[in-house]
Amino acid sequence: MSKKVKQQKVFYRRKPSDIVFNIINYGVFGIFAIACFFPFYYIFINTISNNDLVKRGAIKLIPKGLQLQNYLALRQVDELGRAFLVTVGRTVLGTALMVLASAFIGYIVTKQEMWHRKLWYRFMIVTMYFNAGIIPWFVTLSALNLTGTFWGYIIPGIVAPYNIILVKTYIESIPAELEESAQMDGASYMTVFRKIIWPLSKPILATIAIFGAVGHWNSFTDSIILMSSTPKWYTLQHILYNYLNKTTNIQAMMSNPDMIASGNQLNEKAIKYTVSMVSVIPILIVYPFMNRYFEEGIMLGAVKG
Amino acid sequence: MERTKKSVNVIYVVLRLLTVLSCIGLFVSSLNPARISDLVSKTASLFTSAISYSNTKEGFTRALSAGWISQGTITLLYVSSLFTFLGICAVIAGACMSVGTRKLQRLGLYLNIGGSVVGIISIAGIYMAYNQLFDSPLVSKLQPIFSAGYYFYWAILAIILILSIIVLVLSPKVEKNEKYGMESKYKLFLLFVPFIALIFVFSYLPLWGWRYAFFDYKSGGTITLDSFVGFKYFTMLFQNASTRSDIVKVLRNTLAMSFLGIGTSWVAMAFAIFINEIKCKPFRRMIQTLTTIPNFISWVLVYAVAFAMFSTEGFINSVIGGTTNYLMSGSHIWLKMLAWGLWKGTGWSAIIYIAAISGIDQQLYEAATVDGAGRFQRMRHITLPGLVPTYCVLLLLAVAGILSNGMDQYLVFENPRNTETIQVLDLYVYKLGIQNGRIPLSTLIGMVKSIVSVVLLFGANKISKAVRGESII
Repeated sequence: MSKKVKQQKVFYRRKPSDIVFNIINYGVFGIFAIACFFPFYYIFINTISNNDLVKRGAIKLIPKGLQLQNYLALRQVDELGRAFLVTVGRTVLGTALMVLASAFIGYIVTKQEMWHRKLWYRFMIVTMYFNAGIIPWFVTLSALNLTGTFWGYIIPGIVAPYNIILVKTYIESIPAELEESAQMDGASYMTVFRKIIWPLSKPILATIAIFGAVGHWNSFTDSIILMSSTPKWYTLQHILYNYLNKTTNIQAMMSNPDMIASGNQLNEKAIKYTVSMVSVIPILIVYPFMNRYFEEGIMLGAVKG
Repeated sequence: MERTKKSVNVIYVVLRLLTVLSCIGLFVSSLNPARISDLVSKTASLFTSAISYSNTKEGFTRALSAGWISQGTITLLYVSSLFTFLGICAVIAGACMSVGTRKLQRLGLYLNIGGSVVGIISIAGIYMAYNQLFDSPLVSKLQPIFSAGYYFYWAILAIILILSIIVLVLSPKVEKNEKYGMESKYKLFLLFVPFIALIFVFSYLPLWGWRYAFFDYKSGGTITLDSFVGFKYFTMLFQNASTRSDIVKVLRNTLAMSFLGIGTSWVAMAFAIFINEIKCKPFRRMIQTLTTIPNFISWVLVYAVAFAMFSTEGFINSVIGGTTNYLMSGSHIWLKMLAWGLWKGTGWSAIIYIAAISGIDQQLYEAATVDGAGRFQRMRHITLPGLVPTYCVLLLLAVAGILSNGMDQYLVFENPRNTETIQVLDLYVYKLGIQNGRIPLSTLIGMVKSIVSVVLLFGANKISKAVRGESII
């Protein structure tokens, strides 16, 4: 009964102009969403279709001649395998250290009794608003011998002031009584941090971890600037950038004997697409699960202060 | 008694300062005593010489195989640097302990004494390795260098040694029942110190690199007083015709693209307002999810997407049967870059507005509907005013960042055809400094850019404070 009434009400309200508005509105958003997603779908179906068809541009909306050999073939390319490991390594290690440091610093700076707390906190925060520029930064890092080493990716990113603000704000919202009672029982700062602060601030730590991981996975300017003479430390994005721009490295791969034998010879286009997919798939897989954290992250950023 | 205590405290302060100095010295390559020869890398600091044997040995590879230098010398050099480093570490630990209770202070003093003795002996070891170079049959090939680091470390460590002994004598004996401990304010500070060091090194130390703007500096070289050129590069910026025209071009591109970005910043807000009108929840959810994906991929991948869509063999050409490579064309670059920026960022930027909309009181909408307000009137008079404050903050921040559009996007999309219109300030500085090795000029441009950006940010903050009574930073 009530359902019927409701329907009637909606029907009564709906004017022709509303219908037109809705069609346009849904349509525009639909088109934009497709524009955002279709390229990835297009690249993907081109990597799993027969390479000859791909070369001729015959794959438009549906994959034809399904195969997964491209991915298997690229796995054998040393340069790519190495870049993948480097990227995974920096993502895992860099994110872990950044999260640990942010949690720890975020906790320490909430302690009012710290010696000149305000001064040191400001010392850290102002670095968000200025930087010396890319060249002095590069010269400093090369003076510290951080160019051409894996640590060049990790160490400069350990202290992330913005994330520290997020963590600090979150920790301040944890009831102080919890910590006080632990300190009454003689717990040290480290114990309080490990047993109380760390477990309770997991939601915010997850958020900054995801942002940090995406940042590490995607970053390629530091690879270009710091590793210019050490190709063994190139990241996946850097390699992809090189592939998209130059074809020199690609020629060698195209003569993969297994693939020629199976009538599915690799070509430039297929390689470029497959490498693109390899570097975007981890993000696409993680993304739907982590969407909530991303949105939380931007909201927390908005209320900082 | 009171006076001794006071003077002991003064000595402690001096000790800590000296320790910080020696700690900084560890990372300054010109103070590296282990650089006994010009064959050692110019950028090697004592820290790197001490922790990496391969780094020390690297420079001598040829000399070693030719027999100009003995393995023993290299080993002596490395072991001595390592022990110098360890000695300084002990001194640092001692300085940290000096803020503790008297018993802890005493332990710290012992560490200071031990560490500085080890350091002094090890520096002598390095000096011995340096002298051994002169026994070599081909001294000229080894290019021995007498580093200023000897005096620096000997002086510092000797003063630390003497002062520590004086304090040890002056300070009263520790009572038996006293414990090791430290006031919590110092404990917290010491926990923070490693991070202060990191921040200092990666955010403040580069500021010291601004001095390159005033010297004729070549990548990998060193700065000497002879190469001081004062404001040469400043005048070059204005007087050298080709540099000047480059700068004008780059500034034009930077400002044009920034203003296009600012001019379209309302798009994200419009996105939020209109998506709010979609009442079908699953559809809305899906739209939001799909449109935020591009924000999480790198610019290289955006370029890969562009490549898949618009290159000669891309999707568009395969559909219309053409062979135009849209990526290579140099026309409408500013608008194309704007379009890619919007494609990547709109869905994400809208989230903040969508959240702001959900914070608007629903009763306002109901009241408006009762009063006969239509859909557009509600959007115009309720939703929009609710978003304007957020928009203003983001707009001011965008204005403050007008010179910093980053280089990723423009680097990946750049090609010989569009380089005239795509080069922005960040990209130009990168190319000038890192690809062409013109460190002084690029440092100078980066420096001016940083200063202008900070001024703009504070200006924007002032405006925000005056108009809205809130600061944005």
